[in-house]
Amino acid sequence: MDDKKSAVLICTCGKQLQLGFDFLETQVKKMDLTSSVTVHDLVCQEEGLGKIAELVKTSEGHLVIAACSSQKIQPRIDQYLASKGIDSTQIQYVNLREHSAWVHSDVDEANKKTVDMIRGTLARSAKSIKRSLEQKEIATHITVIGGGIAGVESALNLSNLDYDVSLLELTDELGGHVKSLPVVAPTGKSGKEILSGRLEALQNDSKITVMTNTKVKYVTGEMGNFTVHYSTEGDEKEKTLDTSAIVLATGFKEFKPTAMDEYRYGKNPDVITQFELSCMLSEGELVRPSNGESVKEVVMVQCVGSRSEDYKKDCSKLCCTFAIDNSLEILDRMPDANVRIVYMDIRVPFENEMIYKESREKGVDYIRGRVSMTWEQDGTTYVRVYDSLLDKYLDITVDLLVLSSAILPPDGTLELSETLGYAIEDDGHVKELYGKLRRNETRRRGVVAVGGVTRPQFVFEAVTDAQAGALILHNELQGGKIESVSRGAVLDVDDCVGCSLCAQQCPRGVPLMIEQTEEEEADEEQKILFKAAIDTMNCHSCGVCQSLCPSGATQLNFLSNDQLWSEIEATLEDAGPEYPITLCFYCEECSVSTIDIVGTRKMEYSASTRLIPVPCAGRVSIIDILKALEHGASTVMIAACETDRCHIGGTGNEIAQVQVDVAQDILNAIGWKGERVDMFRMFSAEPERFINAVDEMVKRAKKLGPTPVHEGTAGKWVEVAK
Amino acid sequence: MSRTEPEKAIAPKRQRMLDMILALGGLKEESAIPLSKVKEELDNLKTELAPLTDTIIAFPDSYYEKFLEAFQKSNMVNGVNDRGILKEAISNLDEALSKNASASLKGLNSLLTEALDRMTGAGEISDAGIDVDVKATLSAISDLISEVELIVDQYETSAESEAESARAELVALVEILSDAETKAETDSEAALDQIQKLGTKTRYGPGLRATAQVKRGKRDGRIDDERFQNLVRENLLTEAYRGVIMFVLGKMGSKTVVQIGELMQTSPHMVQHALVTMIQRGEIEMVGLEGDAPVFSKVLTEIPNSTLVLKRIVQQVRGMVKSLADDAIDTANESLTKLQTLLERLQILGTYDETALAEPMNKLRETVDTATEAVLTSKTSDDAENLKLLVSAGLEAFARFRLKITLEKGPNLVSGYNVYGEKLDPEVYKTMMDTYLDNELERGTMLILIRELGALTAHDLAERTNIPQDRILSHLLRMKRDELLTISGESHGYILYDVPRTPSEAEIVIQTAGSLALQLTEARIELERILGELKAADIGNLANALEVFSKARDKLASVRVGGVVIDEATLTEVEDKIRSAVLLAYRTRAKMPSTRPKVTLKDLADVDVPSVLDEYRNQMGYAPLLGFGTIEWDQSKCLGCKSCEIECPENAIELKPRIEIPKFFEISDEALSQLPTNRSLFYKTVQGLATVKPSKDIVLEKEAPGFGTVEVDLWLCVACRTCVRRCPGPESGALELELKWNLPEVVKHITSPS
Repeated sequence: MDDKKSAVLICTCGKQLQLGFDFLETQVKKMDLTSSVTVHDLVCQEEGLGKIAELVKTSEGHLVIAACSSQKIQPRIDQYLASKGIDSTQIQYVNLREHSAWVHSDVDEANKKTVDMIRGTLARSAKSIKRSLEQKEIATHITVIGGGIAGVESALNLSNLDYDVSLLELTDELGGHVKSLPVVAPTGKSGKEILSGRLEALQNDSKITVMTNTKVKYVTGEMGNFTVHYSTEGDEKEKTLDTSAIVLATGFKEFKPTAMDEYRYGKNPDVITQFELSCMLSEGELVRPSNGESVKEVVMVQCVGSRSEDYKKDCSKLCCTFAIDNSLEILDRMPDANVRIVYMDIRVPFENEMIYKESREKGVDYIRGRVSMTWEQDGTTYVRVYDSLLDKYLDITVDLLVLSSAILPPDGTLELSETLGYAIEDDGHVKELYGKLRRNETRRRGVVAVGGVTRPQFVFEAVTDAQAGALILHNELQGGKIESVSRGAVLDVDDCVGCSLCAQQCPRGVPLMIEQTEEEEADEEQKILFKAAIDTMNCHSCGVCQSLCPSGATQLNFLSNDQLWSEIEATLEDAGPEYPITLCFYCEECSVSTIDIVGTRKMEYSASTRLIPVPCAGRVSIIDILKALEHGASTVMIAACETDRCHIGGTGNEIAQVQVDVAQDILNAIGWKGERVDMFRMFSAEPERFINAVDEMVKRAKKLGPTPVHEGTAGKWVEVAK
Repeated sequence: MSRTEPEKAIAPKRQRMLDMILALGGLKEESAIPLSKVKEELDNLKTELAPLTDTIIAFPDSYYEKFLEAFQKSNMVNGVNDRGILKEAISNLDEALSKNASASLKGLNSLLTEALDRMTGAGEISDAGIDVDVKATLSAISDLISEVELIVDQYETSAESEAESARAELVALVEILSDAETKAETDSEAALDQIQKLGTKTRYGPGLRATAQVKRGKRDGRIDDERFQNLVRENLLTEAYRGVIMFVLGKMGSKTVVQIGELMQTSPHMVQHALVTMIQRGEIEMVGLEGDAPVFSKVLTEIPNSTLVLKRIVQQVRGMVKSLADDAIDTANESLTKLQTLLERLQILGTYDETALAEPMNKLRETVDTATEAVLTSKTSDDAENLKLLVSAGLEAFARFRLKITLEKGPNLVSGYNVYGEKLDPEVYKTMMDTYLDNELERGTMLILIRELGALTAHDLAERTNIPQDRILSHLLRMKRDELLTISGESHGYILYDVPRTPSEAEIVIQTAGSLALQLTEARIELERILGELKAADIGNLANALEVFSKARDKLASVRVGGVVIDEATLTEVEDKIRSAVLLAYRTRAKMPSTRPKVTLKDLADVDVPSVLDEYRNQMGYAPLLGFGTIEWDQSKCLGCKSCEIECPENAIELKPRIEIPKFFEISDEALSQLPTNRSLFYKTVQGLATVKPSKDIVLEKEAPGFGTVEVDLWLCVACRTCVRRCPGPESGALELELKWNLPEVVKHITSPS
């Protein structure tokens, strides 16, 4: 593609910036890729926006705006241009304020840096392409897996949002654990009451199809086009269901402590779990399971399996509240019963504290300690409790020993993850996409996880979670008519060699590998042939696929390889041994806001730095890093989100880390210093970390001196070898 | 919490792979013939077999027709004296006829049945009266002995000439041995090679195995140098000696230690040293004395029947002598001495071709039998009343040396002292003798019955003698241990006991013809069934059935009636056809993995490869292709995409986090131009930046998508080619499967402790 010249619009920010704008203007005017230079005082104001509209028209979209942070100015410009019906997709931004004027006191240095960055951005702009509005119509059908409170709630919400819903339940009845809760704090209502209204609504809802005794086996496809493979009980035949998105609401599983000998669970019928007690209480009269006699002495044991290295490391969160709920229910029915709760520490979040106080008032006996053994003698069950406050062993006869056992992820979570593509936490629950901002999304686009499957949740939490999940999906599916400006990876199928690296590493599982059966038949060597398929509208634009693609078949439509490479080259035009440059790729998630804060706070750092934005650190490939060195950078750094906090699915920054690590190793092996390349992590508001990182890389650039490129020894390994 | 899962002996994946190796080769053909082509192969086989099978199936009918004719004409049936053999042949023919009616077999059957009936009748008549001239009989015995002596002379001459030819071979062996002995002091490895060379010539099993074990141990590093030297110098060299000794005894007849030592040009001490273990191993035994020196011989798996018959004749004559008077004693004694010498000579000979001896030996036996009876019935003897008792109870018993001794020594024990200074209580002696006599008489009766009526079971004997069956059984076992009886087969689940007999030519013919008739009939039915609808699963049975035809044909070709081979034309004509058919079947069978014979890992671990090759060749009819595939990986074409690892059904291939960076600098420009653009750009950029060419690989801390070195675990690879097919690298991809046939490597891999 021929390079297009771009108009350059330089903003003086109301003449407030300490930059030589005349110098900039003359320098930029000299550049080959410049069609015109305009210096404006307030680009963000009406007048300036009008100028932008004019320049976009005259330069056929190729416009470079050198102003403040694009984070601030771009939304306003996009909105303005959109209102005028002008395409803004090719505009490129240079941040001469936060990245230069505000952080470098030496005006000459700041000028030089600004000129370099404008030159680089001109190169990027020269190869930019117009991105158009794309539309996609998909079926408005969503599948909810799991018919507990979360599944039912999300089904109802989705139905209200005008989606057709299939609600798939493994057992023969909806309602999950909640239907067996005698009382749900803090409402005081029983589980059945809480469910009844919803189940009634469900029955009257023609948009919801309930399928009980149904087990999901696996799922294929992608958002907008999933196929759920399932079977129903008594019919092993696999059936399929086409759907556009999936709500995973498979709840949780209560731990059965049969292996914990001290409780004799499973051996003594009078030893039950807390949920089993809930079931007994909600089903009718409370009697001893062993002989049907009435219950007077009840001992409850907390943290059975929870907070234990052997079973579940964390707190199960719900058990304390449930134990208190059940104790109150027992005392309500049998005021003369003795309920003792053996605990390590009681954790009752939210307003559940109220029922804890109530239980203390009503005489529930809290014993801090552990049960050391349980035994039976002449039909009576005894427990020995160590009371750590009294430092005494108490032998107590019990009619019921109730174990508040741990909350575990449901069976099959791991198996489903293989095809549903969501990530899993160490404890086996489904991992959220991003802990702070995107809790309901999973790593896979079009799959949300709600309720207990993500972490132990109270009933009302599960309900709000389910509502949120429904809204997230609605946001994605947009009522079946998806419309957006195409922004993301575009695959050139002809170039695809079918290596599947993109599909393996995409943080959101967007590329699908399609077997080319026809070509296979024709192939003489019986090759197994694949081609990737990427739906750009499902893409999150991180560029990981582009970074890894060996053939350049998949590229972001707003930042192609050529764009980035020519930007690198142009930015580093003046780089040399006498002026060692540190090139910094920064991600437009956490790093961009941190660097903006650095600018706003006017924190000084060396002006020998050149900054290049990338959507996600995962976009930076090893070739990009090596290219920077090839074109004269002394050091190269990547600023990225903190570990496990990659906004684009959690792994873009790790892919970048791999590129950096391998680049370091290779550099060390080929006669360079690996430290010339490094990666730095930062949260979105950690200006010090960015300053430290930049200082470190500038320091290294000075310390390590001229690179082999500067010295002219690069590529001379042949002679050395001889 | 205990999460112990039952430990599996071997992972199913590995088992699957093992099965593939252990199916012993054929992989190369298999890769050329996918399973979908099995049907095609079967059809091919069927077409190819069609012109052959008709002749093959028809040949037994043709043969037996001609056989019956010749058999009748030669009157050979009269040569059959052994009723057991006759009965067996008849029962075989009966069974064959029940499966398939054949005129010729029917004719043969009735012929044999008639003969059996005649014989049973004749037997009864001969029991009636005995009137034999003792003197004439004794001289007849003497004549027969001379005849046998002549034959044994011939045996010895031919044995000696064999030994002579072996002598030259022995010289070579002894040379290698002394070479190995010298080298053992300086260069153990070379000595080991010599010993192994010697081993392949002597084919001495224990020695071969020991050598192979030591060699393996050395190679795997389980044996250190010092121990290795010791083992070669001590154990293996001794084993080599044993091999040569075995060679001497096998090829040159029984020898004394001194003789062996002379032959091997070594000290008798060394031979003695080597011999002890061989005796313990049951490989050799002492068969006689030469002067004071024991004579050793190879332990024979089976002693020739003629030797056993002669042994019995000697005992019988020895017993007879006691009962004779005057000059008859001298004649008999003379014969006895000769017979004893003959027996010794036969024992020293070990194995020999019995057929020449059969006729005179049988005659000798018959004559001695008659003489014994005559002696005992003639009442010429004035011996004790006891003998008369014996006659009435069973003449045979008396003929036995054991009883004589007891009778002679017994009274002395009562009157004098035994070696321990004890005196035998007359009462005890009486009971003892009663039991003893009872036993010996019963055993004698049984022997006579068996000799006359052919092989009998314990049940038959009990019916005929009124002796309780448990006693019969204990007698039978005792006599079996004393080599007086042999086991000749089974009847209705009972074991048939027979006296050692040398079958006559006619008997051998009828035995062979009978059993082959049955085998051929069964094979024919099987063959017709299989060919009716040829299925892959039947391919092994097809080969077996054809193999029966093949073997039967070979045997029939050696059967002579009246000195000629029957229906020779047909036999020759069908020979090639059967061979081709068998080969075709085996070839097709080799192409179908599931029908191949399986060998277990245990079988392979202990066996040296040449012998596996032989076994395989014997099983399959052609030399095996042993071993497995290796995957060649071409770094310059690899994209590091891990597709091979993901796709591999056996988890055998893996992208290891190691970058072979020196290879980045060796990729040709042409190879670079073939690579996907970014990949070649990457290599070019690295080359363009480098100031030195790296010499060492980069070891990455963790996996890095797009980078790495492909490694294949030979242990797991089943050479399925999936990785090769999936590899998206340029041209035909970065992987190439090379079928590598190296069983020793594979076995070593499998048997290594990790």
